[in-house]
Amino acid sequence: MCTALIEVTLWMAVFAAAKTELIGGFPKESYLAYAIWAAFMARISVSWMYEFRMIEEIDSGSINHLLVRPFTFFEYYLSQMMGYKLVTTLFSLIVPFAVSTAFDLPTDATKLPIVLLLVFYYLILVHILSLIVASIAFHLNRVHSMTVAKNLGLWLLSGELVPLDLIPSPYKETLLALPFCNAVYIPVGYITGRLGIEQVYAGFASITWSILIFGALSVVMWRWGIRKYVGTGA
Amino acid sequence: MEIAIKTEQLSRTFKSYQKPEGLLNSIKGFWNRQYTEKVALAPTSFEIEKGKIVGLVGGNGAGKTTLLKLLSGLIHPTSGTAQVLGFKPWERKPEFLRQMSILLGQKNQLWWDIAPLDSFAMLAEIYDLDKAKAKTKVSELAELLDCSHVLQTQLRRLSLGERMKMELIGSLLHEPKILFLDEPTIGLDIVAQTVIRKFIGDYVKEKGPTVILTSHYMDDIAKLSDQLFLISQGQFVYQGTVQGFVSKSQMQQKIHFALAEKLNQDLVLKSSHPEGISLKAGQQEFIISVDQENIPQLMTQITQLSGLSQLRIEEADFEEVIHQFMEAESRLRKTRHSN
Repeated sequence: MCTALIEVTLWMAVFAAAKTELIGGFPKESYLAYAIWAAFMARISVSWMYEFRMIEEIDSGSINHLLVRPFTFFEYYLSQMMGYKLVTTLFSLIVPFAVSTAFDLPTDATKLPIVLLLVFYYLILVHILSLIVASIAFHLNRVHSMTVAKNLGLWLLSGELVPLDLIPSPYKETLLALPFCNAVYIPVGYITGRLGIEQVYAGFASITWSILIFGALSVVMWRWGIRKYVGTGA
Repeated sequence: MEIAIKTEQLSRTFKSYQKPEGLLNSIKGFWNRQYTEKVALAPTSFEIEKGKIVGLVGGNGAGKTTLLKLLSGLIHPTSGTAQVLGFKPWERKPEFLRQMSILLGQKNQLWWDIAPLDSFAMLAEIYDLDKAKAKTKVSELAELLDCSHVLQTQLRRLSLGERMKMELIGSLLHEPKILFLDEPTIGLDIVAQTVIRKFIGDYVKEKGPTVILTSHYMDDIAKLSDQLFLISQGQFVYQGTVQGFVSKSQMQQKIHFALAEKLNQDLVLKSSHPEGISLKAGQQEFIISVDQENIPQLMTQITQLSGLSQLRIEEADFEEVIHQFMEAESRLRKTRHSN
């Protein structure tokens, strides 16, 4: 909520200083709505807690009790994370929705289902990235710092800070070609009226190819790690 | 004879980084790493029949847990291969994992923050068990282990003995065909040890899984095992029965005897020892330690003593034999390290 407030204040100050009705073709209300929804989407589409736990399991050897069960480490944590995110989404959705309604900010609630579907699809990619980082814990200690670096990178690429269409070319095109804009920019842009449905479809496509590429990398990393694993502490 | 577990030249070597002291040396370690290798399990071949309980005995660092980790698929071997119920364990195929269970006495495998009943419900889902049947099974096992009253208490709030009972229930819920028990009675008091030992014995008799059991309590091994595997410094040094091992050992046996009256003069019993065994005048009860080979000769002489009122031979105790073996191994290890 703090981030949202800061961003709202920032955009109000930018519009006041610029003495203009439109920036990048959109009015102040559009940016305020973006700031409110971006804070919400960014919290949903990031994985700190479960990535930390995955690393901790490998580091401490408590992963042993999962490795001997008939499921994979990936699906065990994916199901936990998805369950947690679903509950969090349902409860926290009330806040941006209430604020947008109260201040009459441009938000199309009918677009929310497909947008949430996109974000939850993106979470699969996020979880794959978590598995890649966690797999490094088979080789190194203190891998948590990599989570911090990775999530900082994803935050910058997601569009939470500023709508990505404000970024000059060719950086804008590069950022939009990456799958990470599906965390914030695409879903928020769509429900606040900046983007059309075709960008959402393109988002699904970019997540799909990223899942394939990073998924393959995660399989390699996991297998490499598990071959080196010494069953720590048992 | 159906084989449940088979290994061929199975081995595992651990490589560890020798980190020198200090920050500068840590940084140097990025490009100039010093590694040491330790053979945790030397190439090992054995077969275990279905339904047998094998006691795996060895000192700390002998390679017992490494073997269990290999056979349960937790780690990959450095060389060789193993088949457990026809599967390569480290491939961790779901069909294999559904038929196997490992209990690590020093590690919690149930979920720490929730009540065991919830953990068991989760395990029932994981193993695709019928919910009603799983509930009945939990009740039965809890009854046998006398721990029904703690099933709804958070795991973290249970005593060590109660936790171990819960771990056992969790391990047996899906009725595994292969059961690896690593120190199931470690840290428990005598009463809890006895309860768990009896439970394991009864369960195995009823359900017939193949079991590999490691324990530092030789009573566990002696009372439960059909076969004994003795492991030292990563190598198998004995494969056979507990009795076979005891009789093969050089451990002395004890002859206890008593006379109706005190011995009136010193007496020497002939044995392979040149000086024989001397019995002092004025004594009435005697305990002599002898090698097995001397027993027949000495027994002949003792039974001829006038006024013999009691006579018994005390078999060498398994625990003592193992203790002696481990001491010898420990000395050997120290000698090797110092060289």
